[in-house]
Amino acid sequence: MSVAVERSDFEVAARASARGRLDVYGVSKSFAVNGTQIDALQDMSLHVAAGEFVALLGPSGCGKSTLLRLIAGLDSDYHGSIQQDGAVVTGTSLARGIVFQEPRLFPWATVRQNIALGLKNAPISEAAKRDSVAAHISLVGLDGFAEAYPHQLSGGMAQRAAIARGLVNRPRLLLLDEPFGALDALTRARLQTELQRIWAHEQITMMLVTHDVDEAVFLGDRVVVLAPRPGRISRIFDIAVDRPRERSNDQLIRIRNEVLRTLEHGGEGSAPAGTARSVR
Amino acid sequence: MSDAVLETGLGSRRLTSADGARRLFGARLGQRVARRAAAAGWLLIVPAVALPVWIVGSERGWLAQQILPRPADVLHTFGEMVASGELAQHAGISLLRVLFGFAVGSGAALVLGSAMGLSRRVDEYVRPLFTAIAQVPALAWIPLAMLLLGIGETLKIVVIAKAAFVPVVMNTSAGIANVPRSLVEVGESFRFTPLQMLRHVVLPGAVPPIFTGLRYGLTHAWIALVSVELLASSEGLGYLLVWGRQMFWLDTVLVAMIVIGVIGFVSDKILAVVETRLQRWRTDGV
Amino acid sequence: MASDSIDPAPSAAAFRRGLVLPLVLLAAWEVGSHSGLVNPQFLPPLEKVGQVAWQELRNGELTFALATSLKRDLLGFALGSGVGIVIGLLLGLSSVADRIFTTWFNGLKQIALLAWIPLISLWFGFDETAKIVFIGLAAAIPVILNTVEGVRATSTRLLEVGDIFKFNRLQFVWSIYLPSATPSLLTGLHLGLIYAWLATIGAEYFMAAGPGIGGLIISGRERFEMALVLLGIVVVGLVGFCVDRGASWLERRLVSWRTV
Repeated sequence: MSVAVERSDFEVAARASARGRLDVYGVSKSFAVNGTQIDALQDMSLHVAAGEFVALLGPSGCGKSTLLRLIAGLDSDYHGSIQQDGAVVTGTSLARGIVFQEPRLFPWATVRQNIALGLKNAPISEAAKRDSVAAHISLVGLDGFAEAYPHQLSGGMAQRAAIARGLVNRPRLLLLDEPFGALDALTRARLQTELQRIWAHEQITMMLVTHDVDEAVFLGDRVVVLAPRPGRISRIFDIAVDRPRERSNDQLIRIRNEVLRTLEHGGEGSAPAGTARSVR
Repeated sequence: MSDAVLETGLGSRRLTSADGARRLFGARLGQRVARRAAAAGWLLIVPAVALPVWIVGSERGWLAQQILPRPADVLHTFGEMVASGELAQHAGISLLRVLFGFAVGSGAALVLGSAMGLSRRVDEYVRPLFTAIAQVPALAWIPLAMLLLGIGETLKIVVIAKAAFVPVVMNTSAGIANVPRSLVEVGESFRFTPLQMLRHVVLPGAVPPIFTGLRYGLTHAWIALVSVELLASSEGLGYLLVWGRQMFWLDTVLVAMIVIGVIGFVSDKILAVVETRLQRWRTDGV
Repeated sequence: MASDSIDPAPSAAAFRRGLVLPLVLLAAWEVGSHSGLVNPQFLPPLEKVGQVAWQELRNGELTFALATSLKRDLLGFALGSGVGIVIGLLLGLSSVADRIFTTWFNGLKQIALLAWIPLISLWFGFDETAKIVFIGLAAAIPVILNTVEGVRATSTRLLEVGDIFKFNRLQFVWSIYLPSATPSLLTGLHLGLIYAWLATIGAEYFMAAGPGIGGLIISGRERFEMALVLLGIVVVGLVGFCVDRGASWLERRLVSWRTV
């Protein structure tokens, strides 16, 4: 469904100049737990092209959520450098949207009000804000639920609202931290399809953290498999399957199996970090 | 957790996970001492400002002696009362009354509360009457009790006991009744006898809320003590308050208030420590 | 075990059982009083209490006393809760204010409420102002405590969302801290109402002069009129009950967005 939204000069300029490219240069981060050092991330480097959909896949403890938080700007204690469109990431920004595993909707506000919250500090007119909110409610398929409160929504619907809120600023980069982890399998599958559609429509860069192989392979242009202790890139897969993808696609299944094998071998015989391997 | 919120409130420093790591783990002794010293420093700001104002104010006679005695006077009175044993005497009487009344009240309350918690029938019979009585604060009962019991020790003990009674019953019955059904079922699956159920399932689960009830009960008992001593006593800390008030001896009033506060604080702290110990034991068990 | 059944609505049987004790008590009272087993001065028969109640109602004394007490109660509550919310917000939001004042506040809070009466009466005398100040103090304490707790308990996860959307300080306070603290704040106000009523009675006891339910009870005691005392107690209990229920209802209505 097509959505027409008035774009201010600001937005047009922003869209043109900032394309959503992400560069991670040698990022390392460690925690001290009871005196011992834990390397959450070790010399991580990654380059994401504008408009790409990248999935970060790995078991717990591989640092994928940590990396996402660093990219989002929620945490600034690390070594290395992270740049979005050439500008160093020094904190949070409206140019980077983020969706967490919990919807984190404000319980005292309706769906509409929650999404509108994202636009509080956006430099556009009130009318433009209203339109944007309405457009995004439609985008995620929540028409009719605009005035509902979070406690009246199912888990899947709440996450849709969270995604709408993450997109309402039209950020060039959307970060998703295991957004469907808390949902049942059926809702998860449905929302993955939705996300694929939304990504194709919005044409922004998306980075999704997940521990679900099927999800990563279904959604991503590339799947970055991470290994834990220390957190590092194990292997990167190119998913050269056309969209819209079907889960039953043979090629996809083959790729999925290979990714699963890599994941299960967790770091053994892993190629040097950053190596992309095309899998047909 | 509260530290995190404080920092991101009106304070300007942004929270990083490093703060969390540093705060939770590996704080060296030096850092801890420094932190304690800093906290103490903040605490001293209020007296550092208030004290000079107080001293100057009373010297200059900004307010009458009855409203603002000289700090030196207060200290002097305090010293006097301690030396003459007067303070100890009054405080001792008050403490004894509280302890006795609290023991009586909470003892009865534990029994009734347990009965109500264990048996739905008992609860059905007793709760409405109990709730009605609970609506009337101990304070309101005092004149009635005075009519019935005169103004002797019995009056005080009864009033204090009533004050402690209500919260302890409520928390005890709730604590016992709310032991998770799931745990009871585990006991049933092992065919526990009623005694075993009580010992291994009910009591351990109910002890923390019961203890919270006891803490509330003590607080209420203390308040009831003060009220009853204010109204009908010739000795005790409450009496000191009344006497000081009548003689316009604000320093005596202040000393009595501080002692009341300190005793209240200490007794609550002791119970709090015991409560934490019990909680820790409980979570270990589960 | 009382926890055996998941709490169903109280059945008719349970209701009847609940009435047994009070009825038995009242019956014993009547019998004891009439038969002279208990000195009727100590335990006037129920009709006498009813009679006195009716009398007081007729000559307007009861209504007047109740109205006066309630007026003080509400004034003191308004004062105390207003100041309390402000202080609570300050202590909760500002780590500086918290570090300076909280411990002192906790210390002062330890002093049993009624112990403040002599001091307040020394400073303000025995008139209305003194009573209202005392009631305000009683209401302020739970309001402050609960407001602070509500602010402190604001979910860091929601604060992060605010961070992501570049909220400024005012936006943080208005859009996250305040709504998040509202349930606790309302609980504080609820408790404040309860304590305010208690303090009203206390103030009327100790700062005697003047009309009020507390005054009614005191004069009943002085004149050895048990019936009057009992009447007063019943009224105190009734008002307390209504206030409590009313506050609970209001709380539920205002915070309908709670998930719990």
